[in-house]
Amino acid sequence: MKIKRIAALGMSGLMAASVLTACGGSTSSSSATTSSGSTGSESTASESTASESTASGEQVSLKVSLWDATSNPADLAAIEAFEAANPDIKVDLIDIPSTDYNTKLNTMLNGGSQLDVYFIKQADMTKSFYDKGQLLDLTPYIEESGVDMAAYNGTADGFAFDGKQYGLPVRTDFYVLYYNKDLFDAKGLEYPSNDMTWTEFEELAGKLSGDGNYGALMHTWQAMAWNWAIQDGQHSIMDYETGYDFAKTSYDMLVRMQENGYIQDYGQLKSGNIHYSGAFAQGNVAMMPMGTWFIGTMKAKVDSGEADFNWGVATIPHPEGVETGYTVGASTPLGINPATKVADAAWRFVEFMTGAEGAAVYAKEGYIPARADETILETVASNEGMPEGLAEALQTKNITPDRPIVDKVGDVDQILAEQHSMIMLGECTVDEGLAEITNQVKDLLA
Amino acid sequence: MANATKQETKKGISLNLRNTLVGLSFILPNFIGFAVFTLVPVIFSFILSLMKWDGFTPMEFVAFDNFVKIFGEKKFIESLGHTVYFAFFTVLLSMAAALALALLLNQKLKFVNFFRSAIFFPYVASIVAVSCVWKAMFMEDGGVINSALQMLGVAEDMLPGWTASVAWAMPAVIIVSVWRNMGYFMIIYLAALQDIPNSLYEAAEMDGASKWQQFVRITFPMLTPSHFFVFMMLTINSFKTFDLIFLMTEGGPGTATQLLSMYVYNKAFISWDYGVTSAASMVLFLIVATITVLQFRVEKKFNDFM
Repeated sequence: MKIKRIAALGMSGLMAASVLTACGGSTSSSSATTSSGSTGSESTASESTASESTASGEQVSLKVSLWDATSNPADLAAIEAFEAANPDIKVDLIDIPSTDYNTKLNTMLNGGSQLDVYFIKQADMTKSFYDKGQLLDLTPYIEESGVDMAAYNGTADGFAFDGKQYGLPVRTDFYVLYYNKDLFDAKGLEYPSNDMTWTEFEELAGKLSGDGNYGALMHTWQAMAWNWAIQDGQHSIMDYETGYDFAKTSYDMLVRMQENGYIQDYGQLKSGNIHYSGAFAQGNVAMMPMGTWFIGTMKAKVDSGEADFNWGVATIPHPEGVETGYTVGASTPLGINPATKVADAAWRFVEFMTGAEGAAVYAKEGYIPARADETILETVASNEGMPEGLAEALQTKNITPDRPIVDKVGDVDQILAEQHSMIMLGECTVDEGLAEITNQVKDLLA
Repeated sequence: MANATKQETKKGISLNLRNTLVGLSFILPNFIGFAVFTLVPVIFSFILSLMKWDGFTPMEFVAFDNFVKIFGEKKFIESLGHTVYFAFFTVLLSMAAALALALLLNQKLKFVNFFRSAIFFPYVASIVAVSCVWKAMFMEDGGVINSALQMLGVAEDMLPGWTASVAWAMPAVIIVSVWRNMGYFMIIYLAALQDIPNSLYEAAEMDGASKWQQFVRITFPMLTPSHFFVFMMLTINSFKTFDLIFLMTEGGPGTATQLLSMYVYNKAFISWDYGVTSAASMVLFLIVATITVLQFRVEKKFNDFM
């Protein structure tokens, strides 16, 4: 009896100990990171600079996390170029599948794994990383290296909080209009111009529809309505005070186009798991608004013979009363983990990737770097297999971020996604959908 | 017992202690795994449900605020309702299907092993692949299911929209869930059926009982322990279902198929609100635990009665 009791005591002690160690582990890691958070970042930076200079001659290993690296030649090429230019630094890549990236990154940062630099997959998550003290203040480095912030065309502004810069954009993708030249030729219609309103787009889609062809492809993302609603840069998806009446025009258009058969049915696309790239490559879709990231994919599809038609790119259509060149997009920022022990090397990596040298590599691979000037866009367009007139089509005047970098944007996004499906499946009217979104966002934010 | 403790082994350890140690060493490997991967996280989750935490900044003790918050949230109540709806029909239909199949395949048929394997197959098939196929089958226009319904004479405007409609999305996922469950629980019923002594049926036949009477009076009651087991496992599984929903509808359209597990996922990985997440998990845990305890109580009564 007594022995059993002792055994039981031992077991419960073991359990208690394991609980304690689990909790102890997490508190110690969080306290360690808070001390190296935004307040203590400068001292950490100088410390690590000192330690690095003493260890000169040795190769520094830099842990960098990104997603789907193997299927993304541009990132690898840029990293290779960085290593070639900085032989004293060895980049140790942590490649994570894109669907798991956010979860995995959070686990790594929260769990205190060694990670020096990380790509942020959704720009709007930058705020939450900043709030949690997981981003190093780059301002002193930017000043010291004399980085020309104007070269980012405003795409870096969203990553500044309280007047300090916590991330720099590597790439900026924005929406353009892809089109199938063969379908236009068959109907004897002129190709879409770089200055077209959404009304003109809808009319054109109507002329191109029929005989098994669709005038356009609007993918199942809520972005296909919301992006055009915020395109003028006057509103964001957080503006519930307006009752979201600014989204009505683009939603009406989307629903109308679906009813008229100008675009494929939302329910079909959704239940068929149809990816926009395959659907456009099939060749029965005349136009598709999509991000610039698709340029590289489309080129590959043409090269492999999956897409067998001539294609072109035009500037995204614009709402009535808004200048052409206003588009919607998102940047991919790079941030430094404040817990890094090699802050100096980390900064050199960020500076290279987000700077002119990195930009040139990305442009060569057909991606649009955040520092995109005339020459860079020319480089992008001059790549083999790029459609004619790409450089002109890529001209922008303003890129509104698709999701503002503020708190709770993920939750709002979720609400939009839910109600988008309701509207597009005809489960509710546009007005009812927008009213529901207003209520839910109000509950969330107010 | 007292005698045993006094019996000393050669090395001087009492037999009782030795037995205890041997016993412990047998369960230890399993227990360590359980403690590290289940018990500690569960306890941690319980603590978290009383905290406000985003995973990084220091935790803040908020007592029962998280619970108050979720019960005031429309989406949580909605998910709870959806979960009950989903679980009720999944459990009922899976049990009926499993029992029917077991009765059918308990007979002497040709290729009986082939049929048994075929029905068991969904349980071991990859849910990712399976849900892709089902999604395509559920397509509103041109999907296999609606085409078949049309051939059976269902008017075109009466065809269900399945995963693309608020009313039919839940029945669609319930169908897939039942299809997936039935094979495994059929095996359990099959095993139990074979344990029923044949003499009972012989006696019934002598007394002139019909097949139906035999089923109602002999087969069904004799399966009582299996009913309890199947019911409990199905209930627990249904309340925890996540993969199927995530892959087939992502909780949509709108929130039509958002179950509690999906709500928990969203709160954790979209809102990064671990406190609320844990509170919701605790509610889920309490529901399942209550059902299980009730289950055991009722089962005990029944077994005593038998």
